[in-house]
This record gives sequence, structure tokens and C-alpha cells, in this order.
Amino acid sequence: MLEFLGHFHPVIVHLPIGVLLVAIFLQWLSGKEKYRGVKPAIAPILLSGSIASIVACVTGYFLSISDDYDQSSVNWHMWMAIGVVLVSLVLYTKEVNPKVEVSKKFLSIGLVVLITVTGHFGGTLTHGSDYLSKPFFKMFSGDSVVNTAIKPVANVQEALVYDDVIKPILETKCYSCHNENKQKGKLRMDDIALLLKGGKHGKIIDVNNVDSSEMLQRLLLPTDNEKHMPPKEKPQPTESQVALLHWWISNNADFKKKVKDIQQPDKIKPVLLALQKPVIIKKQALNLPATAVEKGDEKIIQQLTKKGFVVLPVAQNTNYLMVTLTDAKKVIKKDIDLLGKLSNQIVSLKISNSTFENEAIGSLSKLSNLRKLNLANTNLTDKELPALNSLQHLQNLNLTGTKVSAQAILQLQKLKELKTMYLYQTSISKSDSLKLKTAFAKTEIDFGNYFVPLLPSDTTLVKQVPAK
Amino acid sequence: MTQKELHNQRLVKEAQAAVLQMHTRRHFLKESAMGLGALALGSLFSSCGNKASHNPITFDPAHPLLPKLPPNVAKAKSVIYLHMAGAPSQLELFDYKPELMKMDGQDCPPSLLQGKKFAFIRGVPKMLGPQAKFAQHGQSGAYVSENMPHLATVADELSFLKAVTTDQFNHAPAQLMIHTGSPRLGRPSLGSWATYGLGTENQNLPGFVVLTSGGQNPDAGKSVWGSGFLPSVYQGVQCRSEGDPVLFIKDPNGMDRDLRKASIDAINQVNAEEYKEYQDPEILSRISQYEMAFKMQITAPEVMNINNEPQYIHDMYGTKPGKACFANNVLLARKLVEKGVRFIQLFDWGWDTHGTSADGAVDIGLINKCREIDKCITALILDLKQRGLLEETLVVWGGEFGRTPMMENREGKQNPFKGRDHHTEAFTMWMAGAGIKKGYSYGETDEIGYSAISGKVEPFDLQATILDQLGFDHEQFTFDFQGRPFRLTDTRGKVISDILA
Repeated sequence: MLEFLGHFHPVIVHLPIGVLLVAIFLQWLSGKEKYRGVKPAIAPILLSGSIASIVACVTGYFLSISDDYDQSSVNWHMWMAIGVVLVSLVLYTKEVNPKVEVSKKFLSIGLVVLITVTGHFGGTLTHGSDYLSKPFFKMFSGDSVVNTAIKPVANVQEALVYDDVIKPILETKCYSCHNENKQKGKLRMDDIALLLKGGKHGKIIDVNNVDSSEMLQRLLLPTDNEKHMPPKEKPQPTESQVALLHWWISNNADFKKKVKDIQQPDKIKPVLLALQKPVIIKKQALNLPATAVEKGDEKIIQQLTKKGFVVLPVAQNTNYLMVTLTDAKKVIKKDIDLLGKLSNQIVSLKISNSTFENEAIGSLSKLSNLRKLNLANTNLTDKELPALNSLQHLQNLNLTGTKVSAQAILQLQKLKELKTMYLYQTSISKSDSLKLKTAFAKTEIDFGNYFVPLLPSDTTLVKQVPAK
Repeated sequence: MTQKELHNQRLVKEAQAAVLQMHTRRHFLKESAMGLGALALGSLFSSCGNKASHNPITFDPAHPLLPKLPPNVAKAKSVIYLHMAGAPSQLELFDYKPELMKMDGQDCPPSLLQGKKFAFIRGVPKMLGPQAKFAQHGQSGAYVSENMPHLATVADELSFLKAVTTDQFNHAPAQLMIHTGSPRLGRPSLGSWATYGLGTENQNLPGFVVLTSGGQNPDAGKSVWGSGFLPSVYQGVQCRSEGDPVLFIKDPNGMDRDLRKASIDAINQVNAEEYKEYQDPEILSRISQYEMAFKMQITAPEVMNINNEPQYIHDMYGTKPGKACFANNVLLARKLVEKGVRFIQLFDWGWDTHGTSADGAVDIGLINKCREIDKCITALILDLKQRGLLEETLVVWGGEFGRTPMMENREGKQNPFKGRDHHTEAFTMWMAGAGIKKGYSYGETDEIGYSAISGKVEPFDLQATILDQLGFDHEQFTFDFQGRPFRLTDTRGKVISDILA
């Protein structure tokens, strides 16, 4: 019951803050000739502010005994708040009985200061001591986004297992509720001795019985479970972070050793290695060149866009481009030559359902950085195909619906990196397709012509339960 | 002017001069110190609270559908989402439970009913064994029932999600949950998010097309492809698969293309004037939509017409030209992907097999529904594959929830046919194509298929995965609305990395 009432504290505290500040503001205002009329309102507002602050104090007391906060901060907060109550009551008495000999001005200023300080201690208790100051200092350091990501480690094997690997995880995911000022569940984690001591339910790290360590159990519970940690609405650790914690605890939860001095099962090796990289590099559909490239000429991109080409970087923070053009009546040599000026950048090109002008296709040979080329349903023939031989990095080639023959495709064997080739609806006979398959042993060739047979059941309806 | 008036005038002048004397430059500076301070503070704040970096997607109201680059390298360029509205029974299709057969006809154990709520089951229902034969298929050994003989042949192309769960047991909210991330109205759908973030490559067609079959729209209505708080240009465009793809797409008699162009130009001009006055970006969207509609008059009838496909393709899909059916829509979906449409959503109604009628019986109606989709979906996968499109198209199949291992007893009485009630705790979906593992199965249900044991997947996880394949980090992909950034996956969602190739 007390705890329930205590949880109203965060709601109620804002009431006296607002009300009392309004009262002081009105008091100041009533000194002006024009606003003399507000004077009668001051006393009732002061009184309601005092009453609200008393309620806030009582609920605050309940909250402080039902939850685990740093005692000294709570004490400061509490006595300051009691100060607010007393001063506001005196101010009220002065307002209804002007004969009382105290300085109104002095009291008012004192009250504002008290409210501010009390509020600040309250904020420190809920949000942590650096809640206010951190973004303030960030403002000057030029870093506009508060960065919660963990910084990469230079050499993970040389790193300290606790300080460089485990602590950053706890810091970003646990400390906000288990710190010097706030110890939810009587647990404080930013101090090694206290971390080992555990919380309300005893130790949270059990090196002898790793899987029943409370810390791991809480992490692994489903997020909607009440006991899951961190709570659902807080940032969650990633799977690899949980794996690291598990690995650390199963290796005696050491605080001093270096990573290289601790046993590393195969499973944890890639996870550790990943700590060296600033971002997790995703497997990419296109095998992009390892080196970065300068930005493509904006003017040429604009010219191409005007002609109907869709020219886009493959992703943000890369200058490699993919280019698409479909349903073009006539692709002329000039267009392809324009593409050639972006040959360093273009890694993927799709010109499909289009008609090339004579010699235009030959110019494709300049696009030496191409990884993926799609010329489906174009007027490409055997004559132009050898031009593609100079696309040394080509991995994926789509010639669906073109009039190319097996003979011409056999000449493409210089393309060592070719992984996939689509040859559906080309002039390739069945016997030739076998030949191609052996010639391109490393390439997956899709000749298509798949067939879905017509089963009797496809066209009949079931009217009653079929006999078993 | 009397003496007194003159005197008064002089007094006023004097007072004014005194006031002016007070306002020396020094006074001005002194008095405006506060204001200058505020100005300085403002400039300080603007440099620290810069939100531009937080949300990199720029919305250009005049060209809302221009192609945009995704934040990460995308594996999928397009998505075909096949939604079986009404929720197909996983226990007759993919989730093989021989143990359930042994319990067939027995009373449901109380442990499965305690504290649970069902849409129609009351009291103690009987258990219902699988009403189809199962066999393992392909090298992956995936279980597919006899109801899907064609799909079984391409099981090695699919990644099954065996333990999908949801928290909504009625059709409309559950459909909204899957497509918009909230069981209530008002959130943008997956397709809207995708077109908002990526635009579309083909400026002559909408970026997000919806096709429905089964004689009815999904229960949640058009909100499942709505744009919610995103600009309305990103909502799904529902096309018809019978007759004109879009109503009134042809110019009426007596109106030629030039006249149409002239009238649209005039309307756009009026709208442009309106925009100058009110600066409402929705007006610009409207202008661009008029322009698209004009272009679509030419492109849509061509793309949306399956008659010019060769006969062997029709045979492959089992289409019924001239009729509205799922197979036609599936073939259309392939054509649209070829044309660069970003997101294609197919809804097929009629999977709600409660057992109240023969059509809704798991051993009669369900088989017929399966026959409507089995051949064409198989054809879609193979056709996309042979055209080199499967590697850049993500195909998703599923319903809004699953069905109970118990036989439904509506109002506590026995239903005339064998059926199953709505079930939220475990059902099967599958994905195939761009960036998805081939021949894989993720997640497991208990021995009677009642609840998920491992590899539990929420709708949010599904959405996170689809966005991931399109090149988005679902946690960074936000839209500011009502003073805060909104995400499709709200505060949840984990990419199902196990099924990613």
C-alpha cells in the first residue's frame, strides 16, 4: 500500500513546484500598479501549493522507504523539500496576516532557491547525477548526438577483459539503474565489490553454476517477463553482448586478466573479433570493392537522370553506384559513353526491356568495375557479347531473353569471378546447356524453363471429406 | 488654442522627450541584454539539438516517389507479400504434429485452457488431429502436407518460420498488427514505410500496389495498406485484377488524350496556386498524383494485362484470364516486380476455417483454398528465379495468426464440420528470395503445435527483417509525428538473423 502511494510521488511533485512558483510570480506582479487586482489570489494559491508540497513530501517518503536510492541524496532531497513546506507556510501566514514580521522578498527568493535545489536532487535520484551536465558539456564538445554506442577496441586480444569488454556493456545497459545514486533491487553494479555482492536476492554472478547466475537468467527471460532485465522499455543488450557476459562468467568472471589469457571457445572468437570493428559489417548482396572511391561527377549523374537512368548510390556512406534503365526505346552509344565516365563508381547496371543502338553495347566494356549486369530482354546478340569479357569483376550476369548462343557465352570464360548467370529464353539448346555447365564449373547457371505440372487435383474441387 | 491646451501640449512633449532621453544607446543595450542573451542561447541550442542527422530520409513533397537510396546495402529491391486473410491452418500445411493425431477426439487437457481466451471455443473442446498427410520434401527435409503438392517441390527455396506468434486473436486487429505494427488504426503499413523510405524506380507506376482476391477485402479493410501518418502518397494503390485495373482509367468517349492533359494541367495549376497560399505539402503530393494518374493511363493497362503473356506461362501459373482470382494476381505481381514496383501486397480472402460450413472445414474448404494458391505460388518462385529476380525480390507468405490444435466448439456446441479456432501462440509463415536462406526452418512448436518452444517470432521481428532486407535499420527508420519519432516496430523487433543468408 505504502509503495503504491509512493509511486504517485513523481506525479504529485510537479504540482507544488508549479503552484508555488505561480504564487511568487503573482506576488511580484501585484507590486505593479496595473496588476494590483491579483493580490487576493495569492494567499489561496500559496496555501494550495503548501498543501500539495506536504502531500508530495509524504508520498516521497513512502517512495524512499520502498525503493532503493542512495541515502545521502535522499536525505538532502527530503530536508530541502521539508524546507519548501515550511517556507511556503510562513509566506502564506505573512500573506494573510501582514503584521508578521518577516521580509516577503527574502522569503520568496529563498523559496525559489529551495524549490530549484530540491528539484535538482529529485532529478539526480531518478535520472542519475550526470543527467543534466552530460548533454550540457556535449553541447560544447561539438558532438550533437549523445553517443551510447560502445567504442571499438584496437586489439581485442590485448584488451582487458573487464575494463574493455564487460564494463562497457554494463555501463551502457545496466548502470542507469544500478549506480551510486540509485540501486534498484538493492543492486549496485558500477563498483566491483558491490557487483560481486549482488542485490536483494543475493549474488547475481555464480561462477560455479554459470547458467543459474541471476544476471544471465534475467537477461535471457523473454522481454515481456516482469523479471527480465533490462526492463522492456530500456535499451536491450545484443545477442553477442549476452554471449560475452556468459563467456566472461563461465571463465571465472575475472576482473584483471587480458582477453588473450582467457580460454576462447570457437563460438566466442568471432564475437570478440567483432569488437574491433566500429560497425558490424553486414554480408552484402553485392561484393563491393574493398577500397573506397571518390564521388561520381554530379553533372554526369544529372545528365543520365534526365535521360531516364536511375542513378543511386548502393547505400548511404558509399559512392559506389547502381544504375537502372528499363523500357527504353533506344539506348544510344552516347548514353553508354556517359556511363563510362562513371566507370569507377558503377558496380551494378541494369538495362532491360530496351533496344540498344548499334555499337552502344560495345561501350559497356569500359565499365570495368561492374559486379552485376542485367541486360534481360534486349537486342544483345553474339556479336556484341565478347565486349563483356573486359568486365573482369563481373559476378552476376543476366542475359534472359536475349539472342545469345552457347558458342558466344563460352567465350566469356575470362570472367573468373562470375558466380551467377541467367540464360533463360536464350538461343541455347539443351545439349549446349550441359556443355556450358561443365565449362563454367564455378558459375551457377540458371537456364530456366521450369515447369509446374498440371495435377488432376489442381482443377477439381473437393465437395466432401476425401476418403482416406 | 487656449493657454491651458498649450500648456498640456508642452507637458506631453516634455514627457516624450524625457522618455527619449532615457533611451540612450546605453539604455538600449542594457535593456536588451536579456534579449540578446536569449538570442545567443537560441543559437547555442540550435547547434546541439540538430535532428537532421537523426532522420536522414528527406521527403520531397513535389517528387515524393523519386527513388531514394537505403541506408545500408539492400538485398531486396522489391517485396511480394502474400497474405492469406482469415489465417490458414498451420497444422494442415506445414507444422506436422503426429502426437496431436494420437490425441484426436480426446478432451482438451485443462492446462491448455486455463487463463486462455479464444474467439469462439467455449468450455472444453476436443483435440483435432492433423487433417492432412505430411511428408518430408527436398534436401532440407521440410514437412509440407499433401494439400500443397506443388509448393513441396520448391521447399528447398523457402525459409520457414515455425513459431510465429501474435497477441491479437481477431482478424482485423491481427492483420493490422502484422502490417502496421499496431492493432489499432492509424499507423502506416509496411509497404507505405518501404515506399516512403525508398521511393520507386518506375515513375509511371505506383510504388505500392495491392491486389485482392477471394471475393472480399481483408477484415481490417484498406487500413492494412494505409499510409497512416505518412504522407498519403505512400498508401497502397489497390488495383483490380478483372476488367480495368483502375476504375475509369480509360478516357471517356469524346475526350482525347490532349484534352485530358490540358484539364490535368489546369487542375494542377489551380493546386499550385493553392499551395502558394497555404504551403500544405499534401497539395504537392496531390499534384504529383495527378501526374502519375495521367502516366498510369498508358502504363497500367499494359502492365496490368496478363493476356500478352505466353501460353506456357499461363499454364505454369494456372491463371484464369478474364476472371478475378489469386493466380492472376500472382502473375501480375511478377510483372509488376519486373517493372520496378517496390512493394506488392496480395490478399486472398477465405482461409478462416472454423468448421461452420463445408467451405470453412479444414478437410474440405481448406483443401480447395490450397489448390487455388499452390500452383501459382510455386510458379511465381520458379518464374522469378529463372528471370534472375528472386535474388532481389523478397517473397513473404503467411496469415494474421494460426489455428488451434483443438476442434472448434462454437458456443460450446459441436460444429457441423471439422474446424479450428483462431490461435495466436504459434503459426507458420515462410519467406523466400532476396537474402533469405534456402531450405531452412526456424523455430519450433511443442508436440501438439500449441505454443512456441524456440525461435519465437513476433510481428515486429518479421517487420524488422523485411526492412533489414530492404536496407533499413528498423530502429533508425523513423518518422516524426505528434512531436516524437515513430517506428514501424515501435519499441520492439529483432531481425531474425538466423534465416538470413
